[in-house]
Amino acid sequence: MDLVAIQKQMRVSFLVEAADLLVELDSSLLELESQPDNADLLNRVFRAIHTIKGSGATAGFKEMAAFTHHVEELFDEARVGHLHLTSEMIDLALAACDLIGTLLKTDAPASHAEQCNDIIARLAKHLPHGTAAAAEASTAKAEEVAGAQIYQIHFKPNESVFFSGTDPLSLLEELGDLGSCEVKADFSELPPLDGLNPEQCYIAWDIQLISDHPISKVKEVFMFVEDESEIRIDHKSLKENEACEEKGDESFRIFMDGVDQCIGALNVFVPQIQAPGVAAEGVLKNCLRTMRILVTASLTQDCTELKVIAESQILLLEPAVTSAEAMTEGFKQELADNQKKLVALQQELRKRTASPVPSASNEPAVEPRKSEGADTATTNSIRVDQDKLDRLMRVVGELLIARNAFPIIAHKVSVEHQLTGLGNELKQAGNSISHIADELQATVMAIRMMPVRSVFQRFPRMVRDMSRALGKDVDLKIEGEDTELDKTVIERIGDPLVHLVRNSVDHGLELPDERESQGKPRMGTVNLRAFNQGGLVIIEVRDDGKGMDPAKLKRHAVKKGVITEEYAATLSEQQALELIFMPGFSTADKVTDISGRGVGMDVVRNNIRQLKGTVTLQSVMGHGSKVTIELPTSLMVSRGILVNDANEEYILPMENVLELVKLPKQRIHRHAGSCFAQIRNDVYPVMRLSERLGASSSGEDEEVVSVVLLQLERSRVGVAVDRFLSEVEVIVKPLTGDFERVREFQGATIMGDGRVVLVINPNTLFKN
Amino acid sequence: MAKTIMAVDDSASMRQMVNFTLTSAGYVVVEACDGADAIAKVDSQPIDLFITDLNMPNKDGLQLTRELRAHASHRFTPIVLLTTESQPEKKMEGKAAGATGWIVKPFQPEQLLMVVKKVCPC
Repeated sequence: MDLVAIQKQMRVSFLVEAADLLVELDSSLLELESQPDNADLLNRVFRAIHTIKGSGATAGFKEMAAFTHHVEELFDEARVGHLHLTSEMIDLALAACDLIGTLLKTDAPASHAEQCNDIIARLAKHLPHGTAAAAEASTAKAEEVAGAQIYQIHFKPNESVFFSGTDPLSLLEELGDLGSCEVKADFSELPPLDGLNPEQCYIAWDIQLISDHPISKVKEVFMFVEDESEIRIDHKSLKENEACEEKGDESFRIFMDGVDQCIGALNVFVPQIQAPGVAAEGVLKNCLRTMRILVTASLTQDCTELKVIAESQILLLEPAVTSAEAMTEGFKQELADNQKKLVALQQELRKRTASPVPSASNEPAVEPRKSEGADTATTNSIRVDQDKLDRLMRVVGELLIARNAFPIIAHKVSVEHQLTGLGNELKQAGNSISHIADELQATVMAIRMMPVRSVFQRFPRMVRDMSRALGKDVDLKIEGEDTELDKTVIERIGDPLVHLVRNSVDHGLELPDERESQGKPRMGTVNLRAFNQGGLVIIEVRDDGKGMDPAKLKRHAVKKGVITEEYAATLSEQQALELIFMPGFSTADKVTDISGRGVGMDVVRNNIRQLKGTVTLQSVMGHGSKVTIELPTSLMVSRGILVNDANEEYILPMENVLELVKLPKQRIHRHAGSCFAQIRNDVYPVMRLSERLGASSSGEDEEVVSVVLLQLERSRVGVAVDRFLSEVEVIVKPLTGDFERVREFQGATIMGDGRVVLVINPNTLFKN
Repeated sequence: MAKTIMAVDDSASMRQMVNFTLTSAGYVVVEACDGADAIAKVDSQPIDLFITDLNMPNKDGLQLTRELRAHASHRFTPIVLLTTESQPEKKMEGKAAGATGWIVKPFQPEQLLMVVKKVCPC
């Protein structure tokens, strides 16, 4: 998803969220009217408005956010105790909320400007003093023009810089990205080893940077550390002096607007402070805030005069905010003097604006609103708590099981009670309920289905970054992004896929030169493909790289002690490939940054297996490898074969069942304590289910033995049982409590007639 | 390995935007709906960066920052605050609490990526 699409998506989600918040606001405001001093309620209202403003602005609803800002201010003041909410204010807030709703729906927010201004004006009457925040928006910068410049930078981070989560080295690297950099470290303050605290930073750096970027870009590198670090940036540039003029009138005009607003506000605040007696804290704070904005604004235009005055005012005001004693006559006088200087400076700056500049505007006057289509999409989606969905899923699951009772009861009624007519009716009723249940299940599952796109979308970027880092040319082809999988599966398939794609790019694909020498195109291809097949979703990761060498894999496995040399000799090529799924096996000769950090293919296989999926591997030397993941579309319902052995019923999961066969007793041969049977051309070990579970065998000695052929991870096995009963749909509930550790069972399920039956985990039970 | 980022915000659309933006840039994103939720989830996986809103129910962004700094695994982990333009003091408070940086709302996905790359390079 590209960034524009992300914003579009955010608009849609924000509209849904805002609608919820507005409904909540309505009721909270009404509650607040009856209990205006309820702090919790006030905070809730404030947060809701704050979220509408913040998220809304980010989602692109500029007019709405600007308007909401004024409403927020009212509640911010109330929250900190500066004003007491009256019914009139609540009315105003309710009207404002309605207007917010209108602004969100309209395509032409500007047409409601009058209503907005009306409410803003009425809100302003309730606010204790003028608002300064509006000016802040105008500190936005326009890009400066700059040629190649030489910057001399001195950077000495605060000693405790690490505790703010900042890595000074990454800042130096960032400087390196701006141009060519020469860095000298200054170790002069490094204490002797016994006095050294390794969690402190003692080093300073002097950097010479040659870059085309303007100084604002260089300053931006230090934006998060500028307050507490020592930073000096000198730059040699012919253009510096003219910069102000050349910058274009637009940014200067914005700056001037901000300055005008701030100084206008100060013209109100300062006389208030000057008045006899102790000035209100709120006024002082507002004054301070406005000064800080001026300082920020001054930086955008490198206007030192402004910065100096504003900063000295800040120094004056700060002590006064905390203690009334600081408000001496001298303080008031100095404050007033500085204010005069500010006004004078303002006049001078205005003259600069008036200087003739070409008035051609670089920017389009009004940006048309882009994503109008997105607005209408809102009504088509609702957000649902995942827990509710899970609950619905479980209930539907129970329904699917419960319906199994109908055929059983119908059978009882018609056979045992001789009421064939009633039995048939019951059966029919059961059938129609069964159909409805199926449809319900399909619908619920569809709700939980998500396209694999959300997982796949991270790969283009990842592959691009990796190919750069490795010096390989890689073409990533993605197919079947719309293939849908259960949400739970989507959430958990990401990591294994990342691992596989990394493996393909890092280990699979060769370097361009190597590829060329082998007659392959220089650019390697990685295919990531998802598709449906027979009720399963298949995801393939394929590359046209060097493929895997079975002999090398065997040697490696022996070296790693994963298998013995004797055993290695018996392995087929395919079995040798499968070695990479063994724990403790890592194919890379060296551990690289990109992949091979010990998270091996065994983890991938385990993750997939937890999703009831399988992983298989194919590889042809010189032509590439393909990893195929098969996943069930849903984790909810699985199928199994109900069997009876030694008078107990068990379920064998369908995903393991290859075939059900009945064998004459003499076809099962006993050798060295184990049983074997030849079925067609393959020989299978055969074991009795009840014996394997440690229960006593039924001792039935039938002429024909019922055998379920099961596919295990790496082998196949025949399991002898007394009887095959039926194929069933089951919802496996994991065992809990002390039974959690019992790996031989996947869990238990409840049958239509209420009986509990254990579901076998064949991979554990029949291993070895 | 991809870096894991925890996005803490009580606004679902904000979380979604952060999540989509960062996921499309190859990061792994874990969401938390407020400070308390973040603390509850913090030990379940390694986190390379926190992005948190300030105003949240249950536990606000500043308190979360302080608690993370007191947490053995996150003394030096970057923490980025989402502030609004009306709260310059909050930036200072955030710094004092141990935050690495901040992003001022409203912001575009590109701005988010820029800051994230700055404090948590791939």
